Amino acid sequence: MTDHPLVRPHAQVHFGVFFQGVNHTTIWSDPESGSQTDFASFERVVRTAERGLFDAFFLGEGLRLRESRGRLHDLDVVGRPDAVTQLAALAAVTERIGLVATQNTTYNDPADLARRLQSLDVLSGGRAAWNVVTTDNAWTGANFRRGGYLDHAERYERAAAVLRTARAIWDAFPDAGDDVSRVEVAGSALRTPADVAIDPTTPRSPQGHPVIFQAGDSPAGRDFAAAHADVIFSAHGSVLDDALAFAADVRRRVVAAGRPEDDLKIFPGTSIIVGDTPADAEEKARWVRSQQVTPATALSIVGNVWGEDLSGYDPDGPLPAHDPVVEELGGERGSATTGARTREIAQKWRAISEAEGLSIRQLVIRNSGERGFVGTPSTVAEELTRWVRTGAVDGFNITPWIVPSGLDDIVDRVVPELQERGAYRTAYEGTTLREHVGLREPLTRRAAAADVEAPAA
Amino acid sequence: MTTPFFIGLDVDGAGAHPAAAVASGLVPAELVSGTRLARAVRQAENAGVTFVTFTDALLPAAPGAASSARLESVTRAAFVSRTTTAVGLVPQAPTTYPEPFHLAAQLASLDIAAAGRGGWLAGVTRTPETAQAYGRGPVADVEREARDVVQVVRDLWDTWEDDAVIRDVATGRYVDRDRIHYPEFEGESFSVKGPLITPRPPQGQLVVVAAAGDVAPSVRDERLVDVTLVGGADVATAVAAAEAARAGSPRAGVDLEVVLDGADRTAAERLAALDAAVPAGARSPWGTGALRYEGHAAGLVTLLEGLAQAGVDGVRLLPAVLDEDLPVLARDVLPALRAARLTAAPQPGATLRDSLGLARPANRYDARDAVAVA
Repeated sequence: MTDHPLVRPHAQVHFGVFFQGVNHTTIWSDPESGSQTDFASFERVVRTAERGLFDAFFLGEGLRLRESRGRLHDLDVVGRPDAVTQLAALAAVTERIGLVATQNTTYNDPADLARRLQSLDVLSGGRAAWNVVTTDNAWTGANFRRGGYLDHAERYERAAAVLRTARAIWDAFPDAGDDVSRVEVAGSALRTPADVAIDPTTPRSPQGHPVIFQAGDSPAGRDFAAAHADVIFSAHGSVLDDALAFAADVRRRVVAAGRPEDDLKIFPGTSIIVGDTPADAEEKARWVRSQQVTPATALSIVGNVWGEDLSGYDPDGPLPAHDPVVEELGGERGSATTGARTREIAQKWRAISEAEGLSIRQLVIRNSGERGFVGTPSTVAEELTRWVRTGAVDGFNITPWIVPSGLDDIVDRVVPELQERGAYRTAYEGTTLREHVGLREPLTRRAAAADVEAPAA
Repeated sequence: MTTPFFIGLDVDGAGAHPAAAVASGLVPAELVSGTRLARAVRQAENAGVTFVTFTDALLPAAPGAASSARLESVTRAAFVSRTTTAVGLVPQAPTTYPEPFHLAAQLASLDIAAAGRGGWLAGVTRTPETAQAYGRGPVADVEREARDVVQVVRDLWDTWEDDAVIRDVATGRYVDRDRIHYPEFEGESFSVKGPLITPRPPQGQLVVVAAAGDVAPSVRDERLVDVTLVGGADVATAVAAAEAARAGSPRAGVDLEVVLDGADRTAAERLAALDAAVPAGARSPWGTGALRYEGHAAGLVTLLEGLAQAGVDGVRLLPAVLDEDLPVLARDVLPALRAARLTAAPQPGATLRDSLGLARPANRYDARDAVAVA
């Protein structure tokens, strides 16, 4: 392990929780696992997180149920609420925690989306955020009026235009007085048939407008975040060297975009598993992984790459001897894998399983995400603190492996350890999400201030 | 047992009169605050109102005026779903431009959060300015578009059968894929594949409310609207309209604007002051074709009793100014109706369908039901 300097010796750890909803991360088969639909499950997780002084509660979004080879994928938790609607209900049963809604720019109209997000922000007293995502496949588009009408490059152009328009709508309402500005955008920028003109109705919230999150790891995604986002939700949450390299890269991009380098906060997704002893924790982590990757799930994941039904294969045996029958992965299993070359994946997997003597299921377990943090509450707290103080991250977005009790250990055991080290808040300092995360004013309002000051400089 | 006469109440903003916000002297932050909203809906629930509606429109009543501040209605309804336990929650959401897939998921989520108290006031949008806000051309036939959107939203609510989640540990299957369906809807101006991302809502189908004539009749043999709201310049016209509406929906009620006598001003004086305070450029004048009542509370009780005796199923009250008219309704009108056994307060835990005497519908895709019926 490389020894990295503690460049932020007093930095504190921040936490968010990602109520995953759709993925094999959530172990639904355990007797302790509750309903994934009932409001009570969401309420319990958000209340636990708020008791643990978390910055934020996240909801994901899926706009079409996942499929394998034309049939619904039936092995994972599936079926979730609309994010903004659910968060509005959760706003009424919480007081401080931030509420983050993942919402797609491709299949939403800015007039509608901006209004719904700002409504959540106002009703929650300034606790809303928008996790901006894009989609480029016609498969998802089949659920929407305009269908799959954007190619890969255009989806970020539209995302930027939708975000700019949303901010203009939010900023159109004055802090005081009666003059609400009209917002006008060229249809070509938004890729709409006609020009757009909106008279907004949504007043400002105590934090101005929703915080912007962005989750995208490609160079285009990182640039989008560097230019527009307040928080980047990364996948670099298991290996410190990797997280530091990611942080250095995005900070370069933030500075290139003309912003202070600490203007974009980094919150990787991760998991935390604690036990009474290091051995307990390791044993629990192995068990969790084996529950997440059932034999059926392992065969389904490999079958998706091979493009055929492998349910007749032995999950404890080797990978298929023949090459995949399809060239590329489609969008049916989520956009993160779309377009990957199946033969390259298959060759890589074969090499690993031969070198390490792994069965199909063992290989999928090995590949199945990074391991996150495993240890006693004390060793985990030590490690999380180091990550923050080396400047690798600002906080962590925790994905619980079980719902709704999956945060209990972290709030009851890890948070107090962090607090003892002075590495975690002991009370919310503010009331808004922007205050919890330690963000400056919204970008657009700073830009307005800079314009005013510019002539004097 | 006969179903009680229903009392709906609109709780939008400061009230239904276009000058309500100005007259109430509320700044935008107060007008739209969650605290104020929750208080109004709680008052309505305590008064025994059957359901509240949240009137909405994408664009402001008076462009450029901060007094037109308003939040999106499904979000408002979801927020109060957890601050109430009995009253029905019926946001007005348009059928003309938004994405039907999103709308279906939003409303299903509302019904889940509200434990079956959700409804949908399916609106239509006739202003060309709204098309411009979406970057689209105006929809020529809004009633036909409303029909297609209500139809596909209803289809989407049924895409998950009630027992689609099986959690079968032995086979590793979380859902039974044979109990989740693709409607593959083909309307005249759009198509939707499905299934919905949200499981079937607790009521099976939310209660769909619409103004008479807004939703064209289904091309299938199906009722699209559960409760039709009618207007009328006088009582006889409104009663006749409600009677006619019953051909298309199981329940029909009358939209009724109310301005009640206050402690120190008569209804007529209040209304004159309100009319004089309407902001310049206001799009919708007071008086939208609804029946209107101005006067004292006892006269309103008599009017409502008369409507019930004439066979109308209920009313939706549109109070001119919420802060002034709701307390009078709660103190002097609703208790009198309950004492006369005309109305009944919805019970905690009851669904909105229960309160309106509407059955929980069978799932249109459930082959077992179809077999049972045949």
